[in-house]
Amino acid sequence: MTYHFGRGRSRWLPYLLLLPGIIAYFVVALGPSLATAVFSFTDATGLPGAPVNWVGLDNYREFLFLGQAARDNLNAVGRTLIFCFFVTTIQFALGLLVAVILNQKLRGRNFFRTLYFMPVILGAVIQGLIWSLFLYPLGGPLAEFLAIFGVRSEFLGAQPTEAFAWVIVVQIWANMGTTMIIFLAGLQTISAEYYEAARIDGANRWQVFANITWPLLTPSVNTNLLLNVIGSLQAWQLFLVLLGYRNGTQVLGYLIYATGFGQTSGSVTSSFRQGYAAAASIVMFVMVLVIGMTVQTILRRREARIMG
Amino acid sequence: MSTTTGTVSSRRKPMDWGKLASYGFLVLLALVYLGPLLMLVNTSLRTTPSFNRDAIGLAVQPNFENFAEAWEKANFPKYLLNSVVYTVSATTIYVITAVFVAFPIARGYVRYAGVLLTLFVIALFLPPALIPQFQLILRLGLYNNPIGYILLFIVNPIGIVILVNYIKTVPQELDEAAALDGCGYFRFVWSIVLPLIRPAVATVVVLHSIGIWNEIILPTIYLTNDDFYPITRGLIVFQGVYGSDWPVLAAAVLMLTLPMVILFLFLQRYIVSGLTAGSVKG
Repeated sequence: MTYHFGRGRSRWLPYLLLLPGIIAYFVVALGPSLATAVFSFTDATGLPGAPVNWVGLDNYREFLFLGQAARDNLNAVGRTLIFCFFVTTIQFALGLLVAVILNQKLRGRNFFRTLYFMPVILGAVIQGLIWSLFLYPLGGPLAEFLAIFGVRSEFLGAQPTEAFAWVIVVQIWANMGTTMIIFLAGLQTISAEYYEAARIDGANRWQVFANITWPLLTPSVNTNLLLNVIGSLQAWQLFLVLLGYRNGTQVLGYLIYATGFGQTSGSVTSSFRQGYAAAASIVMFVMVLVIGMTVQTILRRREARIMG
Repeated sequence: MSTTTGTVSSRRKPMDWGKLASYGFLVLLALVYLGPLLMLVNTSLRTTPSFNRDAIGLAVQPNFENFAEAWEKANFPKYLLNSVVYTVSATTIYVITAVFVAFPIARGYVRYAGVLLTLFVIALFLPPALIPQFQLILRLGLYNNPIGYILLFIVNPIGIVILVNYIKTVPQELDEAAALDGCGYFRFVWSIVLPLIRPAVATVVVLHSIGIWNEIILPTIYLTNDDFYPITRGLIVFQGVYGSDWPVLAAAVLMLTLPMVILFLFLQRYIVSGLTAGSVKG
């Protein structure tokens, strides 16, 4: 577009003012992100002044193929996929259901909307601590509730599989609001005329949903699916707050952090192995890319089918 | 669809099962959302011995001492001040630089504007920057240093995308008219564009601030001196020490939750518009 604010030297002013923001982005975010690939071929540590050597594919070989540690790593990769699957499907379905319900004329719908959305802003620490208390195993509310049915649980202190499942619950509790809000925004763009016409034709609730709401909601469906998939592949903060670094519960994000910064507890210990952690980051990147792209392709095809 | 037709039809049909089921579902779900919060409030008002005897007993005689104890022992004033300093300074730097990045990109006043925008969009997919970022801060001598910590938060690619989209709705004729009147580029962006894009700026400010305020990974990695801890880190450390004393811990958590909830009620509009920006168009 034509630039109106002078010529010659003053034509450079936009570039000059743009520079600080761009440089910051390259130096703090984009550069480091891409440099992860370079670091993954080295034996870098987190210690200042320690020499950094090129080790080729050693980190990858060790991460994927070497002994028990590699099996643990692959288990963490598997757990990340399981976490992603359950969080995405449940959060998506629940968010959609709640949004469709709240899109009706209902008394108190603003209250419900605000309540469900609120945990989003609390952050992982507060979300985690609130649930640690709610899941208090010695006579806490949920423990007492389950006791009615004769069920006992240690919740977060239980066997790894069960503790892991509770993190999924908290993750969905914490983020369902975002999914709901995006669906609600999408629902509001659907013209009331369609619903009016369907009502005149005598369509029932399910027919209205399947033939009007669902297809016309495609943009929000795409956004939510992609955000949920990528977000849950990368999320691990709640594991940190709720469980700590516990064997049998780690996901890939936590593993990267723990190996890179040696912040572990319990039976698993590690030092600052940043080259190795960088290789794990690249594994995660490939996962996000492959799954993200697959979802994207499926969504595009579906959109072409519906809209075309 | 006016309210009158609604009343008439509901009078004709005495029982709307769909609505009833909707309410039932909403209330059940509300219990899952309110339950943990009510437990937090109740526990914060109880004494430790009585909590240990019966974890879900109601705080019939509220005990407010937990709050004073938590406030003091958890070093709240110090950590809160740190969090405020980090959040305000990083957000200010970020938003000012972001406007000058977003405006020329939205207008095409710089070459390769489309490429630049794409660089911000792909950030969502890129590998975590954690390791090289750490090496960078370490080599700059900014490890365990508030300045280095603030530096980590002066970028936010999604914010740029939100600003670009909003600036595109500001008519281009304005630029021409202002330039004809002799208004310079800087003054135009700063005193004419900035006020016009206030809703988008507010959204970005709110989203970015919440992100910094709630961050727990980066302070754990970068700040080892407890004089520099933000409140999130302070709370985790406090949990490590007082984790078994739930009433005091609950009081600490509640003191941090309440202001966020109140703030949320005021800022909800901006958070919602930030999260839904561009999502409905696809």
